[in-house]
Amino acid sequence: MSRSSHSTAVAEHHDNALRDSAVATNVLVVGVGGQGVIMVSKVIALLCQQHQLQVKQSEVHGMAKRGGVVFSHVRFGEQVYSPTIPTGEADVILALEWAEGLRWLRYLNPHTGTFIADTQQIVPPFACCNRQPGGLSGYDQLTANEIRSQLPGTLALDAGGIAAELGNSKAANTVLLGALSTALEFPVEDWQSLIAAAVPPQTVEVNRRAFTTGREWALNPPASNAAESVTPVVLEPVRAPAELEITEAWCKGCDICVKVCPERCLLLNEREVVEISDPAACTGCRLCEWLCPDFAIRIHIQTVEAQV
Amino acid sequence: MSSAEHSDFEIRDYLRTDLFPHFMCPGCGHGIALRALLWALHELGISMDKLALVSGIGCSGRTAAYVDTNTMHVTHGRPLAFATGLKLARPDLEVVVITGDGDCLAIGGNHLIHACRRNLDLTCVMLNNEVYGMTGGQVSPTTSNDRFTTTTPLGNHEPVFDACELAAAAGASLVGREITLQTPSLKDLFRAALSHRGFSFVEVISDCTEIFGRKNDLGNSTEMILKQKSAIRPESYGNVVDQPFRPGNWSTGILARNERPEYGTNYREHIAAKLAVAVKGHR
Repeated sequence: MSRSSHSTAVAEHHDNALRDSAVATNVLVVGVGGQGVIMVSKVIALLCQQHQLQVKQSEVHGMAKRGGVVFSHVRFGEQVYSPTIPTGEADVILALEWAEGLRWLRYLNPHTGTFIADTQQIVPPFACCNRQPGGLSGYDQLTANEIRSQLPGTLALDAGGIAAELGNSKAANTVLLGALSTALEFPVEDWQSLIAAAVPPQTVEVNRRAFTTGREWALNPPASNAAESVTPVVLEPVRAPAELEITEAWCKGCDICVKVCPERCLLLNEREVVEISDPAACTGCRLCEWLCPDFAIRIHIQTVEAQV
Repeated sequence: MSSAEHSDFEIRDYLRTDLFPHFMCPGCGHGIALRALLWALHELGISMDKLALVSGIGCSGRTAAYVDTNTMHVTHGRPLAFATGLKLARPDLEVVVITGDGDCLAIGGNHLIHACRRNLDLTCVMLNNEVYGMTGGQVSPTTSNDRFTTTTPLGNHEPVFDACELAAAAGASLVGREITLQTPSLKDLFRAALSHRGFSFVEVISDCTEIFGRKNDLGNSTEMILKQKSAIRPESYGNVVDQPFRPGNWSTGILARNERPEYGTNYREHIAAKLAVAVKGHR
């Protein structure tokens, strides 16, 4: 390939990319496993196909069954080239879980993007930065009001609560679809018929109502609803850290407790006797006490009043 | 984990603490098994005055000496025979036999099958570490194939005894097996065995690091007890899958249970009836 034709190809590609981002509408659906992220993106994609638009949808749902991250890129328009949404170009982020939404915010178009999020909080295991019983969680502390002050168009609703009131908390994703329908211009009947086809037959009615409720909420959002519904998850420890008592004379340095401790807070010192290296890390799980063949470890747990 | 919360269980209340540290090697699983046994006794509220621990010879036999209760340390292989006599003479006592694989299956194999057959209300705890530890590391009936011991320098070639199958076949009315790593499960198994009326046999898979593990390159005690975990197959899995999903050959949990009449009660009723007839005939 000659130098000139190569540069032409690059220019053409660049041109396509520009055109692509100009005409395609980008919807990013995020949530955790089991919430119905894929169902939501399927409904959007089918709806676009019905309206003779080109759609590209790509999803990741690896550890979904274990409550892992699920996200789905949906791009539609007259002509769509890439299946994934570039950073900062999503027109809508539809978050089925609050912290997931916040994690993906950098994908939102900072000027024209709409953030639609359920304020429902599902704390993932990874957020448990402190494994003391009732310990602090690393869950995102940003509230809906703080987000709204940065992104005025934000729709933060308690979709899970709304769906539960309607009789099936699993319909939270349909409530959010109702809210989304105000941001995308498709006829309401088409939304409804596609949702009815996508959900189990016995839940068609509750999903129909969920969609309507979500749509009405988005058309007339209550003034102070969001501020009340999101409260940061802050847990006070319900138990004082466990105290380890080691009878040095009985320890034979077999190393079992050091190896089985899930918090890795024990070690063998230079005299081959067990020693606690990080007393604050001990959660009082008692594994070391149980598995000490020499009865050299005693755990003392003091229960204190919960401060929640 | 509610059963695991045992804040009121203080093992030192049950031990002869003046004898500590005990004689067992570093990392020996017998200590863990002893803790589970005492924990079960504590939960059942059995008084140490109403308990009798009978043990034979070997590492397992010595464990009973550390418990602050009525203990009998008897001849090699015969703890079940002594316990039978004790239980018949003193039915009010809770008699627990602590024995080892060599003690119970080889030297005392005869006593085991007959204790199972009689179904006297005893609890037999067999600590299986696959070797005669205290006497110098000789091969035992439970030593796995190709393992090296002082008497099998080219690897063990004898078929291996499955103690639980043996006890169940001989008629023990409760048979169970557990590993030491799962201490709360082991405690629950002991509870079931102690509260069972009839002969209950519990095999505890223990580890012998110093004599057996070192000779067979099985790693340190942590590695040994973790390996046991991957070799077991809890009995609850048996109902779920046809084929074990692990090549492990040790099924654990309660493996056999029957409701045969208890020998002690039966025996006393029988004797009373015969004596009454004899007295009548004499008059």
